[in-house]
Amino acid sequence: MNTDARRYVILIFFLVIGVIYSIRLFYMQVVDDSWTLRAQEIAEKRHVVVPPRGIVKDRNGKKIVINKTYYNLMMCEKDIKHFDTIAFAKLIGWTPEKVKYRFKEIYYEEGFDKNPKTKVRNVPRYQKMRKYAFVKEMTTEEMAEIAPYLGNFPGFNEEITSMRSYPYANAANILGYVSEVNGQEVEEDRFYRSGDNIGRAGLERFYETDLRGRKGVHYIVTSAMNNAIEPYANGKYDTTAKQGPVLNLSVDIDLQAYGESLMVNKRGCIVAIEPSSGEILAMVSAPTFDPNLFVGKRATSQNYPRLLLDKDKPLYPRPLQAEYPPGSIFKLLQSVIALQEGAITVNTGFPCNKSLVGCHNHPNAGNIMEAVQMSCNPYYYQAVRRIIQGGRKKGLYADAEEGLRIWSKYMQSFGLGHKLESDIPGIRGGLIPDPNYYDNEFPSKKRPYGHHQWAFSTIRSISIGQGEVKVTPLQMANIAALIANRGWFYTPHFVKSIGKQGPKPVYRKKNYTMVKSQHFDPVIEGMRRVVNEGGGTARRARLEDIIICGKTGTAQNPQGEDHSVFIAFAPMNNPKIAISVYVENAGAGGQWAAPIASLMIEKYLKNKITDPEKEKRILEANLMNVVKKGK
Amino acid sequence: MSRNQSLTSNVDWGLLIVFFLMLGMGVANVYSVAYNEDHPNFFDFSQKYGKQILWIGFSLFLGIVVFLIDSDIYRKFAIPIYLFCIGMLVLVLFMPAVNGAHAWLGFGSLGIQPAEFAKIGTAIALGRYINGLNVNQQNVKTVILANIILLGPMVLILMQPDAGSFVVFTSFLFVMYREGLTYDPIVLKLVNLIPGIKFKSTWVGSHFIPILFAVVFLSLVTLLMSNNVLTFEFWPGLEIPGFYGVLISLLLLALFSYFILRWISSKRDRSKVTVIVLIGFIMAAGISTTVNVGFQGLAIHQKERIELFLGMREDPNGDDYNRNRAMAAVGSGGLTGKGYKNASLASVESNHVPESETDFIFCPLAEEWGFVGSVVIMFLFMFMLIRIITIAERQKSRFNRVYAYSVAMIIFYHFAINIGMNIGFAPVIGIPLPFFSYGGSSMMSFSVMMFILIKLDSQRNEVLS
Repeated sequence: MNTDARRYVILIFFLVIGVIYSIRLFYMQVVDDSWTLRAQEIAEKRHVVVPPRGIVKDRNGKKIVINKTYYNLMMCEKDIKHFDTIAFAKLIGWTPEKVKYRFKEIYYEEGFDKNPKTKVRNVPRYQKMRKYAFVKEMTTEEMAEIAPYLGNFPGFNEEITSMRSYPYANAANILGYVSEVNGQEVEEDRFYRSGDNIGRAGLERFYETDLRGRKGVHYIVTSAMNNAIEPYANGKYDTTAKQGPVLNLSVDIDLQAYGESLMVNKRGCIVAIEPSSGEILAMVSAPTFDPNLFVGKRATSQNYPRLLLDKDKPLYPRPLQAEYPPGSIFKLLQSVIALQEGAITVNTGFPCNKSLVGCHNHPNAGNIMEAVQMSCNPYYYQAVRRIIQGGRKKGLYADAEEGLRIWSKYMQSFGLGHKLESDIPGIRGGLIPDPNYYDNEFPSKKRPYGHHQWAFSTIRSISIGQGEVKVTPLQMANIAALIANRGWFYTPHFVKSIGKQGPKPVYRKKNYTMVKSQHFDPVIEGMRRVVNEGGGTARRARLEDIIICGKTGTAQNPQGEDHSVFIAFAPMNNPKIAISVYVENAGAGGQWAAPIASLMIEKYLKNKITDPEKEKRILEANLMNVVKKGK
Repeated sequence: MSRNQSLTSNVDWGLLIVFFLMLGMGVANVYSVAYNEDHPNFFDFSQKYGKQILWIGFSLFLGIVVFLIDSDIYRKFAIPIYLFCIGMLVLVLFMPAVNGAHAWLGFGSLGIQPAEFAKIGTAIALGRYINGLNVNQQNVKTVILANIILLGPMVLILMQPDAGSFVVFTSFLFVMYREGLTYDPIVLKLVNLIPGIKFKSTWVGSHFIPILFAVVFLSLVTLLMSNNVLTFEFWPGLEIPGFYGVLISLLLLALFSYFILRWISSKRDRSKVTVIVLIGFIMAAGISTTVNVGFQGLAIHQKERIELFLGMREDPNGDDYNRNRAMAAVGSGGLTGKGYKNASLASVESNHVPESETDFIFCPLAEEWGFVGSVVIMFLFMFMLIRIITIAERQKSRFNRVYAYSVAMIIFYHFAINIGMNIGFAPVIGIPLPFFSYGGSSMMSFSVMMFILIKLDSQRNEVLS
């Protein structure tokens, strides 16, 4: 039997396997890229570098929000050997029980994934070879104490991190705070990963996308033990982390601090704006708190609940959200609308007829200046009646409807009745009633007045800034600014520039009111008299060498003592500062609000106080417990 | 011709050069995969590459010894060599187990694996036995005796246990097939028991070995594909699920081989070729369909057991994990690879592919050199195998030819199973890739095996038999 031909069977066997393997290799290596993806999944890790947040400076370049270095004590279970719980607890100053509890806590904090087979969330995300922060936010000093002994505890090491720090303990209500993202935020924005910080309130939240900067991503080839081996592709695809740009604020931190000191032991707020730019110089919300209380998870978890439950509501951003009746300061706007509408002229006089509306004892106002100076209620009752019941339409009700429609448009043009587009979250818009409001919403949505069921006499209290009208302190300061500007304003804002980039376009657009500028002059003259002449309601605000124009208000408060209101700007010509002061339960505007505004103006313009007695009186005043009317 | 004319005369330089090329590539690859930054010296004997160089040096020393010894000694002392190997295999069973197998003889890292050397002993013994037979002298007795020569070491190796080496020993069946020592006498005996039938030979019996292997291979592929989870992507977008993909692949293979065979065969044989290919295709498709239908008909727990064996399921031993990692490493190599010393999965340091310096040594090669490098390796092995077959066929001595075929088949088995493991075509059984895998036993045994072959070949004209 000749078997020589069998060599070919074997040769073909070799070649078939060789060809099949080559085809398979071609398919695996060149055609199908799923193995490449699988390999990346296995061996390449993205190491994300979180940059420190952008810092914040005040209008004079003072750093008011900076980053401070902290340390996390990291734990990697895989590397832990011969762990002595008691010695370790002693080292970090915990009880052994707390140390044991912390291990469990980390495990459960990571959460669970769905088991693909049973569809139950019972697959732990915790990985033994990953690092977790065992003790978070240790200061350099704390870490320095334990660092020399960490060598005795394999599996534990330090990792540097940064947290916010506030050199000035002020402006907490403006700056806001940061804290760790929650699960929902991680799902909504893929920028964040568990453990990252996010701006929670104030500017930190509004400018979050700027301040957070750009994360750096390093692609690293890792081993099966998760150790980094080398940069992937020599770092070709890596990106560097970039800190967020500097946020340059318009806030004058010294003025802010001064305002906060004046408002100690009082409830209320101060808002100061530079009229020529719309830049907010100070925004005090009293009572306030030290922003450093919210630095870090440990401090926040201690302080946040305490502040939240405080009956004086220090966390409540009053300047933005407190919607107060404006009181008599509203008369300034009624004056310019009446002049613009031709309802009155500069020299129109009205008798102080107390049968229309209550008033204090004063001579009759013979012109608009005197009306402002003496804040005559019946004057404005009659002037506003002329605006509302302007005879534009036949019939009392239709005429009132048309009049209110026009009036509310004016008010809207002053930035009232809607939210200002300021660069801070949580702003409220106040309320300016329009015909629709009385037709469908007031007194209640269920039983409104109804269409053509109301006229001026029904809604007369709006003429003196009471009743349905609601204005926030920020809007009040903006009123002062637009009067100072004689008829226009920039939307109030906090940020002058982001890095090298100027303010947002919306803050460079002048908003013109519907009132021509000449109509403001007589009103401003009246405001000058309020402060500077006998019979004015804000004589306490007078300064020797600076002409302040202001207007007091006393907002009626059915729950207790009236609120003290004052808005002002100074100097009269070329105004540099417009201000609103609101002190809750402090009685008439001239009593407390006016001197506070005066001190603020002097502090800002002169940087010194000429009347220490006035300052002392304010600093020492405690109005916290004055709630009921002192009768 | 004087016996001592020259030691290097008649040496097959082609084979020797491929052998040295592989040794060089192999040690360079071990250097890459096991590279340790703290010990960058290539000759640092504390590192695996340094040790591998030591093993290669020792192997070459053994090679020189082999060259100095007259090749006749192997035929003369075949039985003592074979018995010595059996003795070592028995001895090793009394050694302490390493990784669950009594495979190592010696102390610590200086141990050797007798199973590696038993292959040489068995090849020599088989050569000696077949050499003594007449070409046409095959009967039930000779076939059974030949099988007993194989079964001795196989049983002992299975007792270690070492499944990889056990499987490799079946490669000798092909050598027997080549020498006409097939199972035909046994098949004939059985067939002729049927009244009225008096065959002199049967085609199935004569070609029993290759047919058996073709059927096993086809069945394995069919089983892998039969649940239709895996798909064949013949063209981007043209995906054929599992079993149908197997059938279409068979059809393509049949067409391909038909045109190749028609092209190489003489005009007279062309009609024969058509019939053979047609019958082959029908049989293959039939076997594949039968296996598929049979598998689908199995109970679930039986299916699971088979799937586990084939590595289609995650198993507790982690073979599937290893193979998955290995395939990811190979597949991520791309066309030209990630570059020397740049394997991100297969390097020992990263440790994503276990045993990447021994059983999965093909991974770093494929990952660092890509498809181009992989094909070079395939080409080198194909060249070496064809070269050895060529050498085998020019031997005058039947002993030499059996030995050469044994070497070819052993290397082919190692090559096919080892690389098949890396590309998902073979179950994960730990056997090294000749000349590439790190390790002293395989390096020495394959080198000695190769040198004996070259020595036998160089003295082929002196042997009379």
